[in-house]
Amino acid sequence: MAAVVTPVLTAGIGEADLRDIAVYRERGGYRQWERAVRDLKPADIQAACDASGLRGRGGAGFPTGKKWSFLPNNGKPRYLVCNCDEAEPGTFKDHMLLEETPHLVLEGILLGAYAIGSHHAFIYIRGEFKAGYAIFMAALDAARKAGLVGKDLFGTGYDLEVTVHRGAGAYICGEETGLLNSLEGKRGEPRLKPPFPAIEGLYGAPTVVNNVETLAYLVPILEKGPEWFASVGTEKSKGYKIVSISGHVNKPGNYEVALGTTVNELIQIAGGMREGRKLVAVQPGGGSSACIFEEHFDYPYDYENIAKAGSMLGSGAFLAFDETTDFVAAAHNMVRFFAHESCGQCTPCREGGHWLETVLRRFVEGRGLMSDLDMMRRVSSTITGLNLCALGDSIEPFLKSVLNRFPAQFEARVLKETTHV
Amino acid sequence: MSDRLINFPALLAELKPECDALIAQYEQPRSALLPIIHLFQSREGFASPEAMRAAAAMLDLTPAVVESTVSFYTLFFRKPVGKYVLQVCRGLSCSISGANEIMAYFREKLGVGHLQTTDDGMFSYEEVECLAACDKPACMQVNLEFVYSLTPAVIDEMIAAMRAGTYATAPMAQTEAPAKTWQVDQNDEVSTGGKSKGAQDVSDPNNAGGLGDKAGVIMLDRIVDRDFAFRGRTRERVVLEEPAQIKELVSEDAHH
Repeated sequence: MAAVVTPVLTAGIGEADLRDIAVYRERGGYRQWERAVRDLKPADIQAACDASGLRGRGGAGFPTGKKWSFLPNNGKPRYLVCNCDEAEPGTFKDHMLLEETPHLVLEGILLGAYAIGSHHAFIYIRGEFKAGYAIFMAALDAARKAGLVGKDLFGTGYDLEVTVHRGAGAYICGEETGLLNSLEGKRGEPRLKPPFPAIEGLYGAPTVVNNVETLAYLVPILEKGPEWFASVGTEKSKGYKIVSISGHVNKPGNYEVALGTTVNELIQIAGGMREGRKLVAVQPGGGSSACIFEEHFDYPYDYENIAKAGSMLGSGAFLAFDETTDFVAAAHNMVRFFAHESCGQCTPCREGGHWLETVLRRFVEGRGLMSDLDMMRRVSSTITGLNLCALGDSIEPFLKSVLNRFPAQFEARVLKETTHV
Repeated sequence: MSDRLINFPALLAELKPECDALIAQYEQPRSALLPIIHLFQSREGFASPEAMRAAAAMLDLTPAVVESTVSFYTLFFRKPVGKYVLQVCRGLSCSISGANEIMAYFREKLGVGHLQTTDDGMFSYEEVECLAACDKPACMQVNLEFVYSLTPAVIDEMIAAMRAGTYATAPMAQTEAPAKTWQVDQNDEVSTGGKSKGAQDVSDPNNAGGLGDKAGVIMLDRIVDRDFAFRGRTRERVVLEEPAQIKELVSEDAHH
C-alpha cells in the first residue's frame, strides 16, 4: 500500500470555510441527513454501518453497528451522546474536526441519532475547547434556522433536538459512563458496568456514546456507500482513520489514511524524522498504549496488527520518538498524567498511580532504587483489571514497554551509593 | 468572606432567565449544574460560594453536593484567579518538543510556580495535561484561548501586551482580589462553612486522598495521643473499646 493521505472527513479543511453552512451545503452537506429522514429507515442506516465495517474511533475500536444493536426496546427514550471530550495524550483530531468542520460533526450526530431512533442527542465538548464550543453552537444555530434540527423535520413528523454540553476539565469524562455522570451534573466518576450505557445510560435510559470521528464517518458512508468504505483497510479494520502524528517528526499533524498504512509510511507522511534522526519507538494509540519498536515499524497500522505488536491503535494518536529521547522522563510524564487524572474511586488506580509517579520522580532525579525496577515490572498485576474503568489499566503499559526496551536508561538513574549515617 | 466587587443578588437576578433556559434543555434539572457554574464563573471570574449556593437552590441540591461536584473539575476555580490564567501544556508530546524550557521560562519570567498567582494579581500560572494540540508544540491556553508554537519571544510579547492592556483575549472578570493560589487549602471555608475540627490540617482537598496523603496518619496520631476532641466522631469506636468511658460521655452530654 502506498503512503498516501486520503482526505475524507478532512476534505476541504484549509481550503474552504466549512464553518459556513452555505459552503458546507454547496459541497453536498446535509444531503445525507435529508435523504435519511425522508427516504431511509433507521434500520437502513444500521445496515449500512454494519456493512461498512466501521469501528469506534475513540479508542476501544468496538464495531459501531453492534454497539447500536444492544439497545433494548423497553419503552424508554433513547439518547445518542457524541463524545467530544478529547483528552487522550497525543490525540488532536476531534479538536480539529470540531473547529474546522462543525457541520460535518453535527450531520454525523443527526444520522447516528436517527439510526437508533433517538429524539434527543447530546454532544459533550471538552471544557478546554472554548473556541470549538462557540463554533459548534453557531453551526447548530444555523442548522436549526435551516430546519435541519428541531421539530417535524422535512415535514415527516420526526423530531430531533441537539443539546451541547461543555465539560470543565477532567480526562475521565472521556470514559463513557464518567461522561454520562458529568452530563447528569455529577462528578465525572465512571459507573460500575454492567449495566452498560446501552441498557442504562443517560437518566437510566438506553444510550449510545459514540466518538466524533465515528459519527462523522456516517456521512461519507451513506454518501458513497458502505462498500466504498469497506473496500479499503485490512481484514478486520475497514476504511479510513485520522491519525494524529506528533513528536520527533518534521511535520506533525492530522493525516487521514486508509487503515493498514504501515508505521514507516506514516512517518514518511509526517515528513520523516526531525534532523534526520532515527525512529526508536512509537506510541501508537495515545497515552494509554504501550510503545512499539523497530521490529514493528513495517506493521500495518490497524487494530489487529498493532494489537499483535503488543499495543493498541486506540484513538489514533501516533507519537514518534527518536534516539535522543529520555524515556525515564517520558515514563514519569505519562504516569503523572494518569495519577493526576485518576478520579480516586478505585484504590488500585488511585494509589497505584500515585506511588508509581513518586517512584518514577525519584528516577528522574537520579535517586532510583534497583529494587524499584523489579517492582515496576511486576506492579501491573496489582493495578490492571482491578478498577471500574480502563484508566487504571492505562497507567503502566507505556512505562513497562520502555522499561523493558531501554533498561539502561533506568539503571543509569539508580542511586549509586547509599550512605548510612 | 473577603470583599466582593460585585452585587451578587443583582447578578443572580440578571442571570436567572439564562439559568432557567439552561435547565430547560435537559430532562433532569441537575444536568444544568456545569453550564450554570460556567455561566457564573464567566461573570465573576471564579465559581464563588454565592454562585454555588444559588445553583444549589435552583437545582434543589445541597450546597455540599454542588461544591463536591464543582471541586471535581479543574476548570472551575473555587477561589479568585488573576486577570490572565496561563495554562501551559505539560503533556508528553509538548514535553519532548520544548515545553519543559517554555515552562521554565514562564516560571522565571513571572516569578511564580505551578498553580500560583503573581502578587499583582495579573497572572495565574498552571501546568496542565495534554491540550489536544500536539501538532503545534509548545502550546498553552490563555483564559482558554489557544496559543500555539510558543517561543520566549512569543511569551515576551504576550506578557507585555497583557500588562499594557492591549492583549486580544479578554481578561477574566475580577470580583475579588486573588490570593497566592486558587487551590482550596485544607482549612479554607468555602461554601459549606469550613471543615469540622476533626478534618482540619489533615488532607489536601486537591488530592485524591487515601494512603498517599497525610490524612490517615495525622488522624491516627491524634487518636493515639488523645490530645484532640474526637469524641463525637468516634463514639462508636469508644463504645466498643472503652465502655467505661462512654458512660462518662453520655452523662456529660446529658448536662449540656
